[in-house]
Amino acid sequence: MTIGRKLPLALGGAGLAAAFVLLTPGIGILAADHLDPPSRTDPAMDSTPDRPADIADIYAWHTSTSVILALTFSGPQATTLPATYDRDVLYGINISNAGATTDTEIPIRIKFGQDGANQYGVDVSGIPGVTGDITGPVETIITKDGVKVRAGLYDDPFFFDLQGFRNTLATGNLAFNPNRDFFAGQNLTAVVIEIPRDRIEAGSRLDIWASTARLGGQL
Amino acid sequence: MTANSRKFAAVLCRTAPIALGLLTLAACGDNNNDAPPVATPAPTPAPATTANFNVTRCLNQTIPGTGLTVAGAVVPDTLKINLAAASGFPNGRKLTDPVIDVTLGVIFLDLTKNSPALLVGLNPTANDVAFRTTFPYLAAPQGSPPLSNTNGANFNFRTDAESAYVRVDRMGMPAVSTALIGSSRKTAYNDASPADDAAGTFVPDLSTTLTGLTNALADDLVARGLSPCATPN
Repeated sequence: MTIGRKLPLALGGAGLAAAFVLLTPGIGILAADHLDPPSRTDPAMDSTPDRPADIADIYAWHTSTSVILALTFSGPQATTLPATYDRDVLYGINISNAGATTDTEIPIRIKFGQDGANQYGVDVSGIPGVTGDITGPVETIITKDGVKVRAGLYDDPFFFDLQGFRNTLATGNLAFNPNRDFFAGQNLTAVVIEIPRDRIEAGSRLDIWASTARLGGQL
Repeated sequence: MTANSRKFAAVLCRTAPIALGLLTLAACGDNNNDAPPVATPAPTPAPATTANFNVTRCLNQTIPGTGLTVAGAVVPDTLKINLAAASGFPNGRKLTDPVIDVTLGVIFLDLTKNSPALLVGLNPTANDVAFRTTFPYLAAPQGSPPLSNTNGANFNFRTDAESAYVRVDRMGMPAVSTALIGSSRKTAYNDASPADDAAGTFVPDLSTTLTGLTNALADDLVARGLSPCATPN
């Protein structure tokens, strides 16, 4: 489900006078970006949902010394379940720091691999100033050439009243409840990367987006 | 293209080059393609509203402190960071940012009268558990889930060329663009890239959906003493 970050809007249609009616179809399909696109990641609409490749959220912020990136995916899920490390999925964090804002100067790529039973590793490539890839076990902080990486299972950081959103769309009335967080008490898999700011900074503007792709085609 | 999507496109054509500098919008000046890009879902019986708003003014507003218009913040669909300004959504996105409520404020309110933060509090304003203050910042998983061991060293990472992979999903801005893209267009949207966004490919979708939401919710905003940015047609 593309919940988190892809809100459960799924609206369609073009009639203006009928816009209210058109708020109803598709409700309940998504939320932030969890389960989006539904035709590929939502079990309700796809018999082979690609949960590992389902982006939940992309976060990016800066401090005086760092740029921090956090890509969350394959969630939210119950707190009894393990993380998702699918070696056939290529995760991307695409950064434009110069020229056209739509061009990617810094294509960061993330992959997972395995070394025996329940021993998973992460490989991060494309970070400026790093010699070769950054590789190592998940669930531990890996440091190389000034860059930190940690992949693992985490609390789902998104907070939002999904039910209120659905109710709002269904009724046409604001129906959020600040005490109802659909994502509370749930986990997901994520990769966090902290990069020295001078590796990324070329001008003042950055454009950042995330992508996922599956080896050999979609499920 | 609907009349309103044309207006949205016109807004983008006027404002995007300013906000986005080097970009050009291929769709600018092309009003000949009248094929509606969004399939109309099967009608569901429900009371229809008679509200009829124009959202052009909303899209043309500058978001305080960012130098970006609303249209320029949404198109292309990327998180935008101004490194010279303080971090915090919509200038980048921190874990703690109440992005949904800020987004609702930005797309619905008259930002000359209402702060974009005025709707913060509609939804929960913080995560259910505290974030870490140091790397990796995300909170530990809740419960007692099984975790991977950390002793591996020779992992079987794929070495295939990127061309061997097929796109599944993409994401930039939270909620806005994904929420404003209709179900029938979501697959195409996720296959596309920021260059397609900037070319105006999905502008009619964004405009149509925002108009529908505004028509449904403007009365609620007024009832709360807020000033909607949309203007009645």
